Parts: sequence; structure tokens; C-alpha cells
Amino acid sequence: MKFLEHELAYRKATLNQLSRREALMKMGSGFGSLGLASLIGNSNASQISTNSPLAPKDPHFEPRAKRIIQLFMPGGPSQVDTFDYKPMIAKHAGKRPDSVNRKTLRNTKMGLMPSPFEFKQYGQSGKWVSDIFPNVAECVDDICFVHSMHTDIPEHAGGILMSNLGALQPNRPSMGSWLLYGLGAESQNLPGFVAMSPRAQPRGKLANWGNAFLPGAYAGSYVNIQSMKPDAVISDLKNPNLDRATQRKQADLLGELNKIQLERMEKDQSLESSIQAMEMAFRMQFSVPDVFNIQSESEETKKLYGDSEFAKGCLIARRLVEQGVRVVQLNHSIDGYDIAWDTGHGDIKGGHSKLAHACDQGIAALLKDLKGRGLLKDTLVVWGGEFGRAPTSEGAKGRDHDHYGYTVWMAGGGVKSGFSYGATDEFGLSAVHNRMHVHDLHATILHLMGLDHEKLTYRYSGRDYRLTDVHGRVIHDLFA
Amino acid sequence: MIKKTYFIFFYLFVSIVKLYSDNNLDIEDKVLFFEERIRPVLAQKCFSCHSAEAEKKGKLKAGLLLDSPQALIKGGDSGSVLVPGDISMSLLYEAVLYKDEDMAMPPKGKLSDGQIKDIKDWILMGAPWPGNDMNKLIANTDDEEPYDWEKFRKEHWSFKSLSKVSIPKIENEIKINNPIDNFIIEKLSKSDIIPNSTASKNILIRRAYLTLIGIPPTPDEVLNFLNDNSPNAFSKVVDKLLASKHYGEKWARHWLDVARYSDGHGGFGDNKALPNAWRYRDWVVNALNEDIPYDKFVTQQIAGDLLDEDKNPVPTGFFVVGPTYTSDGGDPEAKAQALAETLSDRVDTFSRAFLGMTAACARCHDHKFDPITTQDYYALAGIFKNTRISDVKVGNQQIIDTHNSWKKAIDDINNNINSFLDNESKRLKINRKQIEKSLDEKSKKKIVALRDELEGLKNREPQKPGSAHALNDSGNSDMHIALRGDLRKKGEIAPRRFIEIVGGKSRPKYSIGSGRLELAKSVINKNNPLTSRVIVNRIWGWHFGNGIVRTPSNFGVIGEQPTHPELLDWMALNFIDNGWSIKKLHKTIMMSATWQRNSQYKQSKFEVDGDNKLLWRFQPKKLEVESWRDSLLSVTDELDLKFGGAPDGEIINSKRRTIYATISRTGDKFKSDNFLRLFDFPAAVSTSPKRASSTVPQQYLFMLNSNFMNQRAQALGRSLFESKDKRNDIIKDVYQKLYSRAPETREIELAYKWLGDNPNVESWNLYAQVLLSAHEMIQLR
Repeated sequence: MKFLEHELAYRKATLNQLSRREALMKMGSGFGSLGLASLIGNSNASQISTNSPLAPKDPHFEPRAKRIIQLFMPGGPSQVDTFDYKPMIAKHAGKRPDSVNRKTLRNTKMGLMPSPFEFKQYGQSGKWVSDIFPNVAECVDDICFVHSMHTDIPEHAGGILMSNLGALQPNRPSMGSWLLYGLGAESQNLPGFVAMSPRAQPRGKLANWGNAFLPGAYAGSYVNIQSMKPDAVISDLKNPNLDRATQRKQADLLGELNKIQLERMEKDQSLESSIQAMEMAFRMQFSVPDVFNIQSESEETKKLYGDSEFAKGCLIARRLVEQGVRVVQLNHSIDGYDIAWDTGHGDIKGGHSKLAHACDQGIAALLKDLKGRGLLKDTLVVWGGEFGRAPTSEGAKGRDHDHYGYTVWMAGGGVKSGFSYGATDEFGLSAVHNRMHVHDLHATILHLMGLDHEKLTYRYSGRDYRLTDVHGRVIHDLFA
Repeated sequence: MIKKTYFIFFYLFVSIVKLYSDNNLDIEDKVLFFEERIRPVLAQKCFSCHSAEAEKKGKLKAGLLLDSPQALIKGGDSGSVLVPGDISMSLLYEAVLYKDEDMAMPPKGKLSDGQIKDIKDWILMGAPWPGNDMNKLIANTDDEEPYDWEKFRKEHWSFKSLSKVSIPKIENEIKINNPIDNFIIEKLSKSDIIPNSTASKNILIRRAYLTLIGIPPTPDEVLNFLNDNSPNAFSKVVDKLLASKHYGEKWARHWLDVARYSDGHGGFGDNKALPNAWRYRDWVVNALNEDIPYDKFVTQQIAGDLLDEDKNPVPTGFFVVGPTYTSDGGDPEAKAQALAETLSDRVDTFSRAFLGMTAACARCHDHKFDPITTQDYYALAGIFKNTRISDVKVGNQQIIDTHNSWKKAIDDINNNINSFLDNESKRLKINRKQIEKSLDEKSKKKIVALRDELEGLKNREPQKPGSAHALNDSGNSDMHIALRGDLRKKGEIAPRRFIEIVGGKSRPKYSIGSGRLELAKSVINKNNPLTSRVIVNRIWGWHFGNGIVRTPSNFGVIGEQPTHPELLDWMALNFIDNGWSIKKLHKTIMMSATWQRNSQYKQSKFEVDGDNKLLWRFQPKKLEVESWRDSLLSVTDELDLKFGGAPDGEIINSKRRTIYATISRTGDKFKSDNFLRLFDFPAAVSTSPKRASSTVPQQYLFMLNSNFMNQRAQALGRSLFESKDKRNDIIKDVYQKLYSRAPETREIELAYKWLGDNPNVESWNLYAQVLLSAHEMIQLR
């Protein structure tokens, strides 16, 4: 049996067994005895362990999105050169009106700099999009733009961590690990949270998908798309020396010995979980390489995505969410640069064209593919960086960091489509209308996933921590 | 703004004294002084942003009014700006001094020196304001305390002073070894639970070894114990283990969790290596082996560099091994953030590690649950703000001296050459750069000789002394409260001193250097009920899996209550009476019947006390990753027991004990970090009170597939394959070696089934891997 089919069979079996498991739970025998039964009877059968930290958990309320794909754009893509159309810049080119004369901006003597890109209107919503995103532009009617984002500091590392952790220092859990902690995993054969990037990891590295003080089970698993070997996605996924039959036999022997130990102990929670975990480990060896292997995709699909590294990540992202992975974080990077979009300092035109080109087709393909498969309605896609870039020039051709106002967009997962929320000032520097802080975005994403950001807490070092710390508002206006 | 009241009271006395002693002006003169010299300046320079008028127009800044004496005392966002009689506590004066750019006022330009002096004098004369009695004003300001201190001290268990507790009398016939058992059995009896009986000797000795040294006993050691029928057989085992140097290697790691030990390699802005962090690690290992009294252990870590006797900067590595953030750009907001985070690490680690108090919660506001004010937070933060990190030479003084004099000799020759050339240059009036070419033969020879001597000296470098990362003092000043945690928004000054809930209202301010030595003394003061309770509870927790207080670093209101408060106090007092000896505490705990109980599950008891809070059994648990890995290497005869020294890099490729791993703070630098984290090694970013114990499939992927496990399996498998013994004996021996027990018949049968008639080395390897991966190997019961 092919492993995907096997996986489906397993999931069906699991569904049937859930009620049985519940019944057993109520009788007080717990899953341990069931795990044992399966071990003795059919060693391929499996149950989702309620003791596992990754067991599915009930959300606080009915979720709009069941899974999330975060397309993270480290370095700070410029809003006024992508999705936040500001014709006023050209009218006042070269000037430095008070509203754009902020002290954190460096070397702005040349004043306002018009976008080097053409903007056109797209879709029924008539959204203005710059010509560096021609494919995403075709999807604007499925997208919910937020133009009024703002964040705390205009430095990459802090900004990136703020975007992914809700904090400026790398000592808090990432949003993905919070989601996993709150919701558990849908698939017990795959990691619940996968982070990916081509070549370079975004600045801050592990912290961006780390679990910090949350239990280790909630950490994201990182995959480098460039060097990706399906067998090496998770460490020690494959035994280099053993065929599957021998390994099955070996696993069975280990199970038997552990079972004897359990009998001696009569009952032991950690041992019961271990028996479960070992079986899951055995299955993961086959399901994980499968899901990362895109060769089985149709030619049509491959063509839709194109062959850039980022597009490969987009396609894997779809395969992952399809298989029940809860959180996928796909980071953009080209040329091995950990803050790719920061090439905007010296040369917006060159840098941004290249970066947009490397991801545009993949992103659009992902949206179309998810939609075509009926997955977009409960999969939330989020696009954006840690901040934007200023409408004034830096030097002659570049733009400096702008944390006063920038754009992120979302699609699917219960957000409005063909909709734009909030606004920056007439030149696009600062968020002025319906301002939305990163904490608000986090609160909103959690809400879409069925979690109350004020209730999703973890007690650590004497206090209850949250993704949103003491901040965050849910922006209901974004919901479909 | 409530907490400022305290200060106002505190300074009231001072100000009254000053008012009547420092100046001879009568009240009318004072009022005149105000009207002529002060009010006009305030009106002209301040009122446009700080007056009722400005408030009406919406132009009020910093929530601060300066147009009435009430307003000055009440203050704005930064708290009170005026303490009559005390310029050092009056922000008004500090602002006009223009020393601090964030506070400098008025914004359009500094006042004249004369105006500044007037303001100083006015404050010193008690800040007279016509029609107002300042003393009354101060007395009438909000006199509400932030907390009901006395209530906390009387009612919250951890703040109550340690007092003698009587040992409960036990009437039933359950075995009692020492007073610990009296306290435990008393509670069990109330729930009608009879505790489990004593564990078998096999289990007991294995438990003792894994607990105290983190390596299982050899089959011979087990056999000796089984054959020793003397009544003190177990006591002898414990003594032997406590005397082993491997005890320090095991127990240092517990403390290193608390110390968030890493070899550097943090996140951005903190990513450098700390190549000498291991000196601190070795100090902990040795300190525990030597059983230095805990009060000294604490003092050395806080202020070892400042001691007269036993001066040793190395232990202050406790603070240095933590994160020291810098900003990756010049943005002032980011810089302030970085400093604030660093100080937060110090306060957090200090307060949770030694006091079980989460003082870092008071960084932005008074603690929501515990009686810890932002004043307390910044009083502590100020100590660390006056402390810097520097590398110090360590080791044999003779080596240090020799090396220093060698360096000096080199410097001397260099100086000789240079001054000679300088003089020649002046004498011959030739450019210094060209002078060498123009020297006469005699001078040339001299230079050559000197250079030869220098070369020779350079090639004879004596042994380099070691270096350690340590603290030393950099200043002696108090810091301001940072409003909402933002260091750029300054509130009132927080004098460095101990936390009020323990130190009391009249606790002294620290004045010697940074104040660390005084801080250490406050921590170990016998009137401080927290320190001994906290450490005794930690040790108990590391034995039983859970402390008597199950939140070992939080003894505050939302920490857990102690399950056995009297036992905790009895042990804490006993601990102090025994000279703060950790080894004696171990002995007391391990000799109790409570520690020696078997870990068997019992349905009826489990139903009443599933969490085992009453300790009816020894709680079975998973080993820490260090003990598990060390055990694997030990039972395959591969463990390298080299003691101490620099870390071994990738521990996953090494055969040394796990404590010698190089640890990156963020856990993403080394391959071994992944391995350690997979088995619940704590993140070294902040102090870790307790290990998690997770079970995830990736752990089994490691056991079944990793290089590390394959190598261990091959080492064991080959020795089994090559053994000339009978099959039955091989299996019996390997069970003794791995699990300290004989195999059951069914286990032998499974082995036979697996191995078949004529097993090759591969079959033995796979069998060995199963035995090493079995839960029994990672379990302590």
C-alpha cells in the first residue's frame, strides 16, 4: 500500500476508534491499555494519544481557519512599491513634507521618491497593484489587505521577532508554537508546525519557530527547501542500515519489552506515552518523506507553481496543510540573505523586482491551488514582513525601514476577500486610519483559528504568558 | 503613583531637619525668594506645557502640572518631581540640570546657572509657596500603601519567619527512619493511605547511584550491596556516593539549570561565545563536591569578586553566563530595550534562583500578585546597572605573575627601542619614520640587539594563565524607575537595597560600590525566610521529581502552596543548623523511609492521590538526558570520565559526560543542542526551575536511527557477540549491567526468539539497541 493511502486508512481508523477510546477513557482504563492492545494485535493500528501534548484540543470557539500558512517576507518589503498605491508621492516628488520627515529615517535629503514601478487596477475590487506582482494581482479578489500595520522598532531582528513572537527579544514562544499548544496537531504522523526557507533562515533563526518556554513538542520543525532531502526533513528520520521489515521486527521487540516493564509497573503514564510515541515514530519514517516529495504532483500543478525555490516551498506548504499540518511558515530568501527584502536600501527597483519575481508566481499558485481544492476556505494565508519601507528616498534609489506604517495581507481562512482595511497617510509612511499593531494581527489570527488571545496562556516563571503579552485587539472588521 | 508616598514619608523627616537647620531665612523672606526668583521662571519657561491653562488647551505634556505646590508633589507620568528639602530626590532639579538628555528641561534651552542655583536653593529651603504649608501638603498626599505589608508577612506562608516546628507523633506502625517520615506519614494517615513499603535492594542502589552520580551501579557494586546485611549498608552506599567526585558532576547540572548556564551563542545582539563559561561550571562542580556551605555558595556567586576573605571572581559567572543584549543598530529605542532586557535577566535570575520571587514582573508596574514594587525591581536592577562584565585571570598566582612579568619585559624592550629611536630622531633632526636608515653603526647594533632580545623573549612565553568571565563593579549610583519598563522614560529614583517585603520599610540602602556584597548579605541573612526554604525545596524536588512547593522558583501568591509546610520549615531550620550543608541534607532525605519507598502503582492509593502529593510512593520518573546518555555510555563501557575543563563541543560525538557539552543559549548553534533539547534539556535563555518531561516520537527516531544509538548498540552488541559465555549467562549479565536486575523468564525467551540459533553480530547489535532504547534504561524508579 502506498503510504498516503495508508495514511488515509489510518485516519479513517482513527476516527472510528475515537468514540471507542472515549468510552474506554470514561471507564477509567485510559488509552494505555488500548495502545497495548494495538501493539499486541495489529502493530500498524494506531490511536491519537490523549496524553500526547500534540493531541487535538478543542478551540475556545468555532474556528474560521483550521490551519495557517505564513508567507513571511523578512527584510521589509516596501508597501508603496507593492500593494499600497500612493499617487501623491509622484506629485510631491523630491519634497520632504513634515509628515514624512521622521527622525529614524536615514539620508532622506532627496525627499519623496515615486515608485519605479507601474501600478494597475485588478479584479472586481479594482485593487491597485504594482507590476512586480502580476500573478498575485490576479488574486486580489481573494485577498484581504491591511494597509495600516505598525510595529515597535525599525530594526530587523527585533522587528522579525515581534512579527513571529510578539516580542522584541528571542525569549518567547513563536506564534506557530502557541497555535500548536492551543490546538494540538491534526496529523499525528507529521510535525504540527513546519518552518521552511530557501537557503537562509530569517534573522533570529530558531526563535522564529521556537517554543521558548512552552514544552518541546510545540517547537516548529525547520526544513531548508534548497538542500531538502525528503529523508532528512526530521533528524534521524531514517535508519541507514535497516530495511523496513527488520525495523518493524525490532520495533515490535522493543514494544514487547516495554510492555513487560509496564506490566511490572502495572500502570505508568510516561511509559504508556512512550509506547505510543514509538509507534508514531515508526509511522513518521514513511509519512514524512512522502509529504515532502513533490514528484508525485501532476504536470499541470508543477507548471502552475513554476520552478523557483520559493514556489517549491509553496507547493510543499499546500501538501503539508492537506495532510493536516497545523502551521506552515515559509520564509522568503534569495542569495542566502537572511533579510532578503532589505536590499531595498540601495536600490528599490533592482532589489524588489528580483525578490517579487522569485515569489510572485508561487504565491499566486498557492492561492489558486488551495482554492481549487476547497482548502482556502479554512486555510489562512498571511503575507508580509516585519515592517515596510518609507516613501522618501534613502540615498538616490533606496528606501529606509518604515515601522510607522506598512502592509500585510491575508487570504482564505474566514477573512473578507477583495477587501482593504486601514490606511497610511497620503504618502504611505505612517498608518493613520484603523491602525493595526502586530499584537492586533496576532490577536486576530488567533481568533480566526478559534482561540481567544487573552485565554491562550501558559504559566511560566510565575506569571501567565500570552502571545500578545498585555496587548492585542481582535479586528472583527476583517472577518467575512 | 502610590509607591512614591513611601519615599515622601521617608524624606519628610530629612526635609524637616533641613528646613530648620540649613538656612536662616524667615518665612517671609522665603516667600519673597519664591515670588522673585522662582515663580517668574516657572511661568515663563514651564507653564506653556505644564499648567492648568496648558491642560485646558490640550497642550499638557507628561501629565505634569507645575503651577501649584500640590501638583509638583503629585507629579506627572514620572511620579513626584519635588521633594522639599532634597534636591537628589527632586526630578525638577534634575531636569533643569540638563545632564540627562531624555529629561532635560525646558526643551528650548538650558536655564541660566543662576536660575538653576535658585531652584536648588528654593528646594533646599523646603520649597516654600505662599499660602501653603509644604509639610502639611506632604502629609496629606496619598498615604495609601501599595500592599498591606503586614498582612502579607503574617498570612502568606513563604514570608512568615522560620520558626521551630514540632515533629508530629505517629501512633501507627509504619516504618519511620527520621523526622521527614513523621511529617509525611501524618498527612498520609489523614487521607487513610498506607505508604508503599521499602523498595527492593536492587532498585534502591540503582536509585541512589542514578540520583547522586547519574551513572548506574556496576553489577559488582549491586552484588556487594545485596550481600551486605549490616544495618548501615545503605548508609554506606550514600556516603560513598556523596564522596565521589561524580556527585558534583551530577548535581552541578541541577544548579546550572537554575543558572541558565550556556557557553554563549545567544540570539541576535547576544550571539558571541563565552569560551570560558566552563570555569563557572567547574566552580559549581567543585563547590558541591567540597560541600561549601550554601550561604557561602550564594555569596560567592553574587559578590565573589568583592570579598576580602575567599575572594574569587569566578563564581560571579552565575550572572555572566546569561544573556547580555546589545542592539544591532544605533536606534535609541532599541538600545534602551537591550539594556532593559539585560537588567531584566539579572533581576529575574537573581530573584527566582535565590528567593523564589518573580521580581521581574515588577518591571513595568507593581507586581500584580506579590508584594514587589517597581521600586524593588529598580532597586535590584540598579545594582546590576553598576556592574559590568570583564574577563579575569584565574588559576595559580605564580603562573599569573610569571606571565605578567613576561608581558612587562616585552613592553619594556619595546619602550626602550622606541624611546631610543625618538631621541635619535630629535638629535639628528631626521623624520622619525626615516630614522632607522640614518643610524650610525653603533646605534644600529644596539637596535638589532634589542630586537633579538625581543624575539627571543616572545618565543619563550611562559604558561598562559586561564581566564574567566566575571563581574566587577562599574559604578555606585541609583537608577530611576523606568516608566512602563521604558528606560528612556524616567520616573523617581529607586535607591539600591533589598526588597521591602523581606527587608522591611527601614532596610538600609546599599552604598558600597554596586551594592552586590550587601545584596548577598541580605539574601543569606537568617531573618530572610526565603533563601533556606527555596534551596531545601529545590533539593527535595530534584530527589522526588516535585518539590514540597511544586513551583520551585515561585514562592509567591500564585506559586503553589507547600504540600507539607511544616516539613519544609523543619528541613530549612535543620539545614541552617547543619551549617547550610547540602550533603547533609541529601543524607537526611535519602535515609528517610519516604525516599526509600518502592514506586509501585496502587489503584486504591492512586485514586485518592494520583499526583502523589502525599508521597505514598517514590514517584517513578524519566531520567534527565544527562543521566540517560551517561548511563548508555557507561553500560557499554565507553564512558570517558575525564573530570572538568573546557567543554567538549558536540557532545553527541564525544564520550565524555553530558555536563561537558557545549551549550548554545538559543539551542540552535550545535547539533548536540537539538539532541539535548529533544530530551527536555532546558532552554538556557532564562532560569529553569524544573525540567519538563515530554514524550515525543522524535525521541524514538533518535533511539532507533541515530548514529549515537547505533554506535552504542554496536559497542554492546559486539561484546555480547564475542562473549564466550553461555547464551543464558550473556543475557543474564547484560540485564544486570543495564538494569541492575536479573531478567524474567519471558524476557530471556524473547531474547532467544530474536537471536535464533546462530545469531550474527548484526542480530546482537539490533538486540543491544532494543535493550538500550527500552524504557527501563531511561526510567528512574
